[in-house]
Amino acid sequence: MGGISNRLLPECIVLDLNEESKEGVIRRLVEAVDRAHSLSDAKKLMEDILEREQLASTSLGLGCAIPHAHSLSLDETVIAAARLSPPRAFDAPDGEPISLVFLIAGPESNAGLHLRLLSKLARLLHNARFRDEIRGVGNAENFCDLICRWDE
Amino acid sequence: MKLLVFVLNNEEYLEEVLEAYVEAGVTGATIIDSEGMGRFLTYEVPLFAGFKEFMKGNKPYNKTIISVIRDEVTVGRVESLMDTIVGDLDRPGTGIMFTLPVDWASGLVPEKEEV
Repeated sequence: MGGISNRLLPECIVLDLNEESKEGVIRRLVEAVDRAHSLSDAKKLMEDILEREQLASTSLGLGCAIPHAHSLSLDETVIAAARLSPPRAFDAPDGEPISLVFLIAGPESNAGLHLRLLSKLARLLHNARFRDEIRGVGNAENFCDLICRWDE
Repeated sequence: MKLLVFVLNNEEYLEEVLEAYVEAGVTGATIIDSEGMGRFLTYEVPLFAGFKEFMKGNKPYNKTIISVIRDEVTVGRVESLMDTIVGDLDRPGTGIMFTLPVDWASGLVPEKEEV
């Protein structure tokens, strides 16, 4: 219960982000995580996530992406989210511009939890009603409330 | 009557495993090409590509052998032979064996023709 909502703080939600590059979006999310969780090494987290991006796309299609990484810069698994406005064409397998980005980062020792959170987020994002609702929320608090409602 | 299901991770053992089935008294089985969930997710779904590290030791493909067994003693004989062929199934990446009760079956080798 509540695996995503427990780890996604309102201050880690960036709404209507206007960034042209995938790297720029990830940087903004890492900065938000750093502010909320006081990372030991935010630069290392950024590098770890970009290294994972090199391996294969973390876009699901449907306008959604979940960049993620294990990183020594964290001792607990955290989540951040961005809604892009306008949506941006990154490297989605279906070519649809990305508008929703969730970032997951945590220590390698928590790989099982990381995998469960990633799978759950992917499942939620495959649901058209969830995507529509999350694209329509007005502020970070409402974004969190909506995640709470779906994260059961 | 039982349905014996064996997911054999190391396909190299298939011949020996089937020989052991016959030795144990299994007169028929169906062999299915199968694939583990971990391999599929990490190699076929890009989102999970970063988790390849966590499925080391698992074979990419496996064989699933299913067989309806009339005599439950046969299941015990198969189990003990598998231990000598593929090793302890509790070791990760070896295989999974389980049985399910079968309340009806048709098309089996007639009992009098069983070896």
